[in-house]
Amino acid sequence: MRDKYAIVGTATSDLGRTGMDSLALLEQAMRRAIDDAGLDVGDIDGIISRGPDNIYTHHQRMGARLGLDVRFSTTLTNGGASQILSVALACMAIDAGLASTVITGYGRNSWTRTHQNEGSREKMELTPDDQLPKEFAPEYGYFAAPATHAFGARRHMYEFGTKREHFGHVALAFREHALRNPNAVMKKPLTMTDYLEARMIAEPYGLYDCSLVSDGAGATIVTSLERAKTLKQKPVVIKGFGTFNNARGWLADDHMIRLAAKQSGEQAYRMAGLSPADVSTAQIYDCFTGMVIAQLEDYGFCKKGDGGPFVASGALSLDGALPTNTSGGQLSEAHVEGMLQIVEAVRQLRHGYAADRQVKNAEIALVSGHGGNTVCHSSLLLGRA
Amino acid sequence: MSEHLLPLPEPSIETEKFWSAVQERRLVMPKCEACGTVNFPPRVACEACTKADFTWTEMSGRGKVYSYTVYHRVYHPAFKEKVPYVVAVVELEEGPRIISNIVGVPLAEVTCDMPVAVMYDEVRDGYLIPKFTPAERSNA
Repeated sequence: MRDKYAIVGTATSDLGRTGMDSLALLEQAMRRAIDDAGLDVGDIDGIISRGPDNIYTHHQRMGARLGLDVRFSTTLTNGGASQILSVALACMAIDAGLASTVITGYGRNSWTRTHQNEGSREKMELTPDDQLPKEFAPEYGYFAAPATHAFGARRHMYEFGTKREHFGHVALAFREHALRNPNAVMKKPLTMTDYLEARMIAEPYGLYDCSLVSDGAGATIVTSLERAKTLKQKPVVIKGFGTFNNARGWLADDHMIRLAAKQSGEQAYRMAGLSPADVSTAQIYDCFTGMVIAQLEDYGFCKKGDGGPFVASGALSLDGALPTNTSGGQLSEAHVEGMLQIVEAVRQLRHGYAADRQVKNAEIALVSGHGGNTVCHSSLLLGRA
Repeated sequence: MSEHLLPLPEPSIETEKFWSAVQERRLVMPKCEACGTVNFPPRVACEACTKADFTWTEMSGRGKVYSYTVYHRVYHPAFKEKVPYVVAVVELEEGPRIISNIVGVPLAEVTCDMPVAVMYDEVRDGYLIPKFTPAERSNA
């Protein structure tokens, strides 16, 4: 699949506290992506979309909103790994002759949903009620995503000597990037003291280790590289992708410190004929700070266990060794389940930013997606044509 | 008002035997008669050898903390008075890892790989759930 397909359009919806429906947010992002590509809605003949997990046949709802019957459409259920998988599936569908121009996207209105009333705010739960665990969870007071990820962070600290300050460096680096992004939700600088003194959520995770509860959507348009060269934007080429799912579960083996990012990344590097040293910028699924450290290790940017010192070295900043989450990430831009990571990678590779946001000589971007009860992983390598 | 009651587990068809044994202060799980692997949560056939010959067998109740978190945020009104409390992944001696609470120890003294032993705690209305507490060295 290397160098056969390209992303020719991309966009986000409004981000933050919108009061909008999740489908409306994604429709907004998709229409903006179509404009960005210089295409008409009627040029789209495939849809791969996803939203909150209680929306059945999400892709049909998006087709209806766009006014489109399409040759290929579906919805994936790999959680935060779905968004990269959608781009990969778009390539496969086009390769199989099932479609020519596929729009992919994800939208959520998490802020609006969890602030409708007092009860929803307290619970802060985005999983549909009937899918929440009924045993080995509520009776122990085990609720919500932070604790699940905190298990991994705690074990990482225990095995490798990782410290809370290391997690803090992730939060600080992404906040610094968000301050350069006018669309980012978080607007104020964050210091290490702010980080360490913030209220605890589920130890070792405090407030700033956790990604945002925000509304937002993003979309991309995938077509053949041949066709991409005739379109408005400089194409961003799909170099490689990979997936791996630790389906035995987060609690099995050492999955909570050695993520499926490793095998997923190896597959993507292999398809692309690239190695970690070739990557100019990384856009990493940052649901929680510790997940960034674990993934950077699993992707081979440093040795397993050395992620803490690696991020403390300043590597993640715009002029660092590996500028990462350069739009602020889910910790400081908005949490759109990995979709904004794809959008930002495309924008960096177009070299369209002013100097204060542009990664110098960005040639190859690595994007990661993680989710689906914390075990599904997808990786995407993008490059300039 | 009911939302302020501590939640009880809702056993599935496959875990009923586990929870009813807990009410008798016993920890039982399906053990493969062919290879000895304890499968929990239960399966139709053994994950290790694929044989479908299980016997619900009493566990030693000993294990260690694989990892843990201390809750500070309240996600359910019934836990308002409980924070801060420890939720842990406990690895039983026989292999399975289960979610539980670590009790009977200051929060700051909980560590990964700490040896623990089962105890039974009443949630409400006489309903017991297994929790874990630091194991005496002699038992570990």
